[in-house]
Amino acid sequence: MAEPILQVRNLVKRFGGVVAVNNISFEVREGEIMGLIGPNGAGKTTTFNCITGIYTPDEGRIYFMGEDITGLPPHKIALKGIARTWQKTRPFKKMTVLEAVAVGALLRTSNVDKAMRKAEEILKFIGFPEEKINALGKDITLMDHKMVDLARAIATEPKLLLLDEVAAGLRPHEMDRLADVLRKINSEKRITMIVVEHVMRFVMGLSERIVVMHEGQKIAEGRPEEIANNPKVIEAYLGTKPV
Amino acid sequence: MGLGTRRNLIVLAIIVAVLAIIPFALGFNQYYILLAATSLIFAVFVIAWNIIGGYAGQLDLAPMAYIGVGGIVTAELLKYYGITPWVGMFIGAGASMALAAAVGYPTFRFGIKEVWYALLTASLVVILNNITHLPQVLGSFDHYLPAKTGWYYLIFYRYQNIYYVILGLFVATVLINLLISNSKTGYYLRAIREDELAAEALGIDVRKYKLKALLTYAGILGFTGYLYIVLQGTYSYQTFNSPTSLSIAIMGIVGGLGSIAGAFTSAMFLKTVEEYLRGTIGATIPGLYLLIYGILLIIVGIFKPEGIAALFNWVKKKVGFENRGM
Repeated sequence: MAEPILQVRNLVKRFGGVVAVNNISFEVREGEIMGLIGPNGAGKTTTFNCITGIYTPDEGRIYFMGEDITGLPPHKIALKGIARTWQKTRPFKKMTVLEAVAVGALLRTSNVDKAMRKAEEILKFIGFPEEKINALGKDITLMDHKMVDLARAIATEPKLLLLDEVAAGLRPHEMDRLADVLRKINSEKRITMIVVEHVMRFVMGLSERIVVMHEGQKIAEGRPEEIANNPKVIEAYLGTKPV
Repeated sequence: MGLGTRRNLIVLAIIVAVLAIIPFALGFNQYYILLAATSLIFAVFVIAWNIIGGYAGQLDLAPMAYIGVGGIVTAELLKYYGITPWVGMFIGAGASMALAAAVGYPTFRFGIKEVWYALLTASLVVILNNITHLPQVLGSFDHYLPAKTGWYYLIFYRYQNIYYVILGLFVATVLINLLISNSKTGYYLRAIREDELAAEALGIDVRKYKLKALLTYAGILGFTGYLYIVLQGTYSYQTFNSPTSLSIAIMGIVGGLGSIAGAFTSAMFLKTVEEYLRGTIGATIPGLYLLIYGILLIIVGIFKPEGIAALFNWVKKKVGFENRGM
């Protein structure tokens, strides 16, 4: 049994009277791809934002590789080795694809040329079309943006990668391509992943283990096939059966 | 790392050569050289502004605060303690940087940005204007530099010497810009301009890098401030002039954010037009240049948000150059 790389303990985040995350606890094991699913408003993105330091949790602790990282600012958390992508892509529109990825690589080096070479390598690794690496951020497609977001995050050399609805808005064949890339990153770069996702086919096929959230709480945890047949999960997604 | 492509340095060398000939081309007509020196010093201001406004994307409207503080500190040191501006300008730069740190640290700490940052920095000029207007500080009247000339005072009978000093500062400012633009700091500042949250998640200490940009910019302005006062002839509370402060940011925006060549062209062109209008119809319609700036801003906003720099890029594409650094 692998060591947990991330431990979330009794996490609570409130916005005014709304409890977005209500006493969530889970662990992520080193090397795995873990799915984090739940209906809209379940608190998945808020959980992500607490882990990456964008929000300070109201209660609970977060441990990364045995170290308490609760409340650290985002840039320090990135430095420790947690990277993320965004539900709505956040491109650097006036920079080229290569430059945007190099910004990520500059976290581990101060040499711009080195960062550029590393960015090129990573873009190649994830199969980004070579003819587009000098295109400006404002001139590329959504799929390209997702790939650049991903490359940028990997370039910071994370140990843990949080993917926030990375498949949203993609066509089925693009999703398959993305899933292959993610598996490759996981196995070859040895990066542990948490995948927040709405697209069931995508997350079920990708994850080894899934945590289900509903209204800020964890309602289930298990292997994909267990989750698919869990009555609580079905109820959360489809609502209670009319009597 | 470094200064980027060799082409950047060649272009800079050509521009400097042309600028160096200007006093000769003007037949050493003192009035024209004063105009040229004024345009050139504004080019220095706008290129320095490019660091905070262009690269870091912070709409700073306080250039005259840093120019005024640096310049007045240097001038007073000369006047009352006989300290040569060669030393005083460094102290002036230090004073401006201290002011920038006092403003920037809390501003960035509490995440004040965009329109709030613009308002806050604009008010800084007004506050300094009011404070220095107090009788205990500078009072209501004009202050004159010592009636002496020579390199010790950086005050001359003829304007070409000061013109060449400003040219030297121009070269230094462009080189600082190029160094920043092609370094880790430059990439980080542009990432912050594009998306602060994404930048932070990539491990960028946004506060630290914004402050770094602000201090560099304030330092250059503070250092140059004394030369601005020499060109003006006097200093007073009116040195903290809001329209002038605003015009530097406008020139930066019209030139194109993040473009050194755009900043240079826009400053040289707009300042020359402004001075020309002041000399011809300024007596009948004062402040006409402000109206022109307003119209230009609207035109740029509608048609070319990338400013003059977009024109250069278009030409470069036609000629087949790649675009990097300048």
